[in-house]
Amino acid sequence: MESMKQNLVDIVGAANVIDNPEVLASYAKDESFATPMKPWFVVKVENAEQVQNLVNWARKSQTPLVPVSSGAPHFKGDTVPSVPQAVIVDLSGMKKILSISRQQRMCVIEPGVTYGELQEALAKEGMTLSTSLRPRANKSVLTSVLEVEPRLNCLHQFNYVEPLRCTEVTFGDGIQMFTGEAGGGPQDLKKQWELGKWQVHPGGPGTTDIVKMVTQAQGSMGIVTWASLKCELLPTVRKSYLVPAKKSTDLEDFVYKTIWGRVGDRLFVMNKAYLAYLMGDTVEQIAELKTILPNWVAPVSLSGDILLPELKVESQEYGLKEYAKQTGVHLLPEVPGVTADEVIEKASTPSGENYWKLTYKGGCQDIFFVTTLDKTPKFIEAMYELAIEVGYPTEDIGIYIQPQHMGTSVHLEFSLPYNPDNAREAKLVKELYTAASMRMSKLGAFFSRPYDIWSTIQLNKDAQYYMLLRKVKEIFDPDNIMNPGKLTIK
Amino acid sequence: MAFPRELYKALEDIVGKENISENIGVCETYRCVPSQSSAHYGPTKNWTPRPQAVILPGSAEEVQNIVKICNKYGVEFKASTTFWSTMGYIGGDFALQIDLRRMKSIKIDAKNMHAVVEPYAIAATVQAEAMKVGLNLNIPGVGCSSSTLANFSTWVAFGPNSISMGYGNENVLGMEWVLPDGEIVRTGSLASDDGWFCGEGPGPSLRGIFRGAFGAAGSAGVCTKIAVRLHPWPGPADFPTYGLAPAYKADWGPNFKCYTLCFPDWKSWARSIQYFYESDIAYSGHRQFNMFGRNLKGAMIEIISNHERQLTDLEELVNDPYIKEQTEKMRHDYQVVIAGFTPKDMEYKEKAVDYILEQTGGWKSEMMLEKDKHDYALLYLTRLGHKNLNYVMCGAYEGVLGLTGNVWKAIEVADEATALKRKWETEHTSIAATGGDSAMGCLSGLGGGGTTGWEFFTNFDSYDKNSVEGTYAFVETTQALMNKYAFGPDFCRWNSDVRKMNGYNYTQEEQNEMFKKAAQPWVFIYQYKIREAINPKNLCGSYVRTLDPKALEE
Repeated sequence: MESMKQNLVDIVGAANVIDNPEVLASYAKDESFATPMKPWFVVKVENAEQVQNLVNWARKSQTPLVPVSSGAPHFKGDTVPSVPQAVIVDLSGMKKILSISRQQRMCVIEPGVTYGELQEALAKEGMTLSTSLRPRANKSVLTSVLEVEPRLNCLHQFNYVEPLRCTEVTFGDGIQMFTGEAGGGPQDLKKQWELGKWQVHPGGPGTTDIVKMVTQAQGSMGIVTWASLKCELLPTVRKSYLVPAKKSTDLEDFVYKTIWGRVGDRLFVMNKAYLAYLMGDTVEQIAELKTILPNWVAPVSLSGDILLPELKVESQEYGLKEYAKQTGVHLLPEVPGVTADEVIEKASTPSGENYWKLTYKGGCQDIFFVTTLDKTPKFIEAMYELAIEVGYPTEDIGIYIQPQHMGTSVHLEFSLPYNPDNAREAKLVKELYTAASMRMSKLGAFFSRPYDIWSTIQLNKDAQYYMLLRKVKEIFDPDNIMNPGKLTIK
Repeated sequence: MAFPRELYKALEDIVGKENISENIGVCETYRCVPSQSSAHYGPTKNWTPRPQAVILPGSAEEVQNIVKICNKYGVEFKASTTFWSTMGYIGGDFALQIDLRRMKSIKIDAKNMHAVVEPYAIAATVQAEAMKVGLNLNIPGVGCSSSTLANFSTWVAFGPNSISMGYGNENVLGMEWVLPDGEIVRTGSLASDDGWFCGEGPGPSLRGIFRGAFGAAGSAGVCTKIAVRLHPWPGPADFPTYGLAPAYKADWGPNFKCYTLCFPDWKSWARSIQYFYESDIAYSGHRQFNMFGRNLKGAMIEIISNHERQLTDLEELVNDPYIKEQTEKMRHDYQVVIAGFTPKDMEYKEKAVDYILEQTGGWKSEMMLEKDKHDYALLYLTRLGHKNLNYVMCGAYEGVLGLTGNVWKAIEVADEATALKRKWETEHTSIAATGGDSAMGCLSGLGGGGTTGWEFFTNFDSYDKNSVEGTYAFVETTQALMNKYAFGPDFCRWNSDVRKMNGYNYTQEEQNEMFKKAAQPWVFIYQYKIREAINPKNLCGSYVRTLDPKALEE
């Protein structure tokens, strides 16, 4: 073990190799029900060269590597080693914003950059990045886009993995390369910028979309050390509304119509519990909101930036009102307990130090998958039925529906808060999580990001796809050192 | 070498006698000039090899059985549908051409805005069906008579609508593939029979091995069905047109406008495009009619939009003072279609266009505001049904240069490229003299803007040896310019490393030599390994660029 440690020290320096039991224990589990497994070491890397050296060392020594870029708490089990004697590759210290181009609306960032840091830098240039719903303060932007967390603005999601464009990746076979347009070379960012190449086009290089190998991959193919991201212009005018409803189905036509009409830059749907968790800063506030909020709310926001922003918002508002009228819903600036501006602001900005999903009960288990909006009612009904069966309070089930990829599908998320210190409650939620995951799958849920038990549930559905996935994994990670045990059927 | 009888019989048993032929006359029609551009018939005197047989399967199951037979007997095969360009044709002597024209179903999910299409559902048909339910699709520059599935799954697919709809790769949802080894793979949500709505995953998206910036052009197996994303269409459901052939036109009311925007120089031209990238104003954007050349476009627009006009009127029209003046004003131009979802939306977009012109010193072409020309251009850009016009001048054309990518970078080269072509036009008789600048292409090759894609149309006479050879020589000079500014292969040489000029596939050894010195040879090694995994007998031609890792070690 000492020689192994020395090898790591040789690569990243003594200060960056950690075997302190407390630190190792903190990586051994997360907030999910994934089986705990203590890693061997945690190493903090500072650059791509170290990453490549580490991968080459891991190949020789047959050591599993688990890349981690965000700070704790983690929720999905993907950063918990599935096998013993793994080394955690901590990329959170790689915090450089390598470029920001206002002309191209592009930025290039390292894995440790968080939403707060990036948005602040982009704002200085009059830009912003489309965001997932209220990310953790220490959430890595790069991980968020690699894992394809749903964005609040589905209408600018031309590509399913927007805003991700090009990357630098070291695959499990030790090869380090640029993907997308950047893959055309030279393999040097500065030289590319001098040539007027800003890593804009995500496709390729060649007839293969290499970047797709590292998306939704849970670090099981390679380690990304920078990514280029498409930015948006920072709005100068914004107007937001809340659309309340008794049932989720009452909002369906409105959401479809609004997407069809290409109106707004924020649109999602939440039930009262989820909205309360998002908006309440304390347990008391959440409890209060749960009693006064409408059953369902669709927040929608209109924005304008440099081209006649007031007129743009005015014209979009006209369309939105038309669609609301046609579909029998009402646009309100506020509902009891919250205003539309507050909801949009909170949804669009990173969480405080205490992650908002943990406020209510201290723990939270999510179940999420991809489906279409018109299919959501059957999943929601099934979830309530199961909750009643196992005795979980239905009023605590948070539901979030996020249209994505310009409206062709939605991310449907059930959020189940619980007290992790209460063994009975934790057991009950674990039971519900397991049963619901299987039931949803049978109903047609598509676990596109198959974390934890969803890996077996989803990949078991198509042997041919799974076999091809394993073949591809073998090409890019022939020694199976990259987060082994993930994306497998157990 | 003819197919052995037992092989032919086995294929015949799959599709029936009426759907397979080895008649020389039939097989001869499945040959093509081996152009090395992406989608044109460039200057060459050769032809692709004649297939030993042509087969027309009617289902994915039949395709799978055919592919298994090909594997058993070591037969090269390639599938195509609308056979636009060399890419769809076989490249060996012991080969089977698969023609998928019997598979043409279209199923639309209007709510979730996608269509599930088979190979021979051409864009015109998909569009017509989509418009009935208020939807439309990205029709790539190749035009509406081409296969939507082929464009999206196995080639590039950007066009006028890509700025508001995204290009092919961005619009692909679930896909069904018969791999070259005969296995069927379904990607995305389809992998688990959950529906066609999502193309990615589960986990890493395996559709990434079938196409990247561009597709494998049939060298990665046979795509038998895909779901493509559809986009809102705020126009009429029945696509009304008026006018007499071939100058059909469209008037869809006040919520549709097609403008030709003109600018004093390339810089203001590029700045205006950046404005369109940064807004959601343009429904379509293309520099279209400049394909006739900077000096001829005004006259050509007059001819093609007026059914009473002929090409013989060209000289008269070129010298017409009004057209001359208008043509001059359109030196730095492009067309945009603005579509309003509501009257207020249209009002905003109209004002935004005016604002862009004000900021950049641009103007709207007066000639193109004339009703017949406006309505002609609107239909042209929305339908892309006029591909015959690409050939109208000399019978053949090739796209050269290909200033793709960063629009600001492209304009730095535009004048030099124009001068180069103009010089060749005036000093040689091999290519048509149209004014040097004949750059055409989409405003954006990516959804929401970001990269442009031009080609300089070069018209030549494919029946004139001197013209063919002269055009080929011209490309030598344009490639030199491309190299000088690090733009990569000339547009008409995009495929020069995947099919030889004699029409045949490259061997692995030949590809090894080409790719081992690449900036990132790993790309080609990965593609080799992927091919080994799904196509161990290498039966689908050489359009996937591969490098045997052993060659790099050497």
